[in-house]
Amino acid sequence: MTPTEPAAVPAARSAAVRPPLPVKMVISGGFGVGKTTTVGSISEIEPLTTEAAITEVAAGVDDLTHTPRKTTTTVAMDFGCLTIDPTLKLYLFGTPGQERFGFMWDDIVEGAVGGLVIVDTRRLDDCYAAVDYFEHKGIPFAVAVNAFDGRVEHTLEEVRWALDVTDGVPLLVFDARERGSVRDALLVVLELALARTQD
Amino acid sequence: MADGTPPPDPSGPDAVGPASAVRPFLVTAGRVAAGDDGRSMPVETQVVATAEGLDALDLLAFERHDIVAVCRLPQSLAEIAARLRLHLNVVRVLAEDLRDAGQLTVHVPDSDLVHDASVLRRVIEGLRAVPDSRGVPSDTD
Repeated sequence: MTPTEPAAVPAARSAAVRPPLPVKMVISGGFGVGKTTTVGSISEIEPLTTEAAITEVAAGVDDLTHTPRKTTTTVAMDFGCLTIDPTLKLYLFGTPGQERFGFMWDDIVEGAVGGLVIVDTRRLDDCYAAVDYFEHKGIPFAVAVNAFDGRVEHTLEEVRWALDVTDGVPLLVFDARERGSVRDALLVVLELALARTQD
Repeated sequence: MADGTPPPDPSGPDAVGPASAVRPFLVTAGRVAAGDDGRSMPVETQVVATAEGLDALDLLAFERHDIVAVCRLPQSLAEIAARLRLHLNVVRVLAEDLRDAGQLTVHVPDSDLVHDASVLRRVIEGLRAVPDSRGVPSDTD
């Protein structure tokens, strides 16, 4: 127990640096709906951007073979993180390109514990692809209406009806700019993921 | 204004900065990350430099040097790619190389563990402790 040893001992000199266990959540929704704002509100770092390869399945009308074409597109992906404790770190990834149908985000989403689909009630159809994706993958998710300027143009019941999501999918209103509001939205998803483990 | 101004990027405002003049396949000597159904490493996979890697830093060049240097502290593949402005798949390939050379350790998260109820409870508790706002900057440290 020598109190002289400063905390800033070069980390790699110790036998093995144990990195934290990363827990991943995915923030999804149409273009400009507030994904990066959401990540930034809770992240301990400024959201970072990287380029990821996304597989686009195009059922093109000009495709003479009538087989789905797969093309790889490079897209910008924003993400952030939050250290829970030295052994556990939450990562939040915004899925890019979801304003178009047919994207496959498996490369980013694989292993995620849950998803948050952000909705702008003025452009509901922008989030269909994300809802479909999470339903198809069986990933626990909630739909969060981003209350731009405190205004929501449709009631939650109207949104639920329009998106055709089951009662098992939580629907909530939040403000992407408010840290507490983002925290609570993520908690809804995590509670859902936890409940699934106990089924 | 009319000339010389590049047209707005259709992919949105999140410019990643000037693209590297070097094509990704040159950096990786033509290799690609597993991809498709070969199960590539998750983007949140943690990477840490080893003492051997840091000792060999002067012998490493370009991307390999930068990756080992940035991993003095554990980083996810995504963070490495973002901080070094490298394509994610380039980082995947080079991180595997550097691991094989003993210069990095690569920790692919155990999916069962991540989805375990006890882990989820810890994330929930940790997140609940996050205050509503970040407080007054610089005043409340």
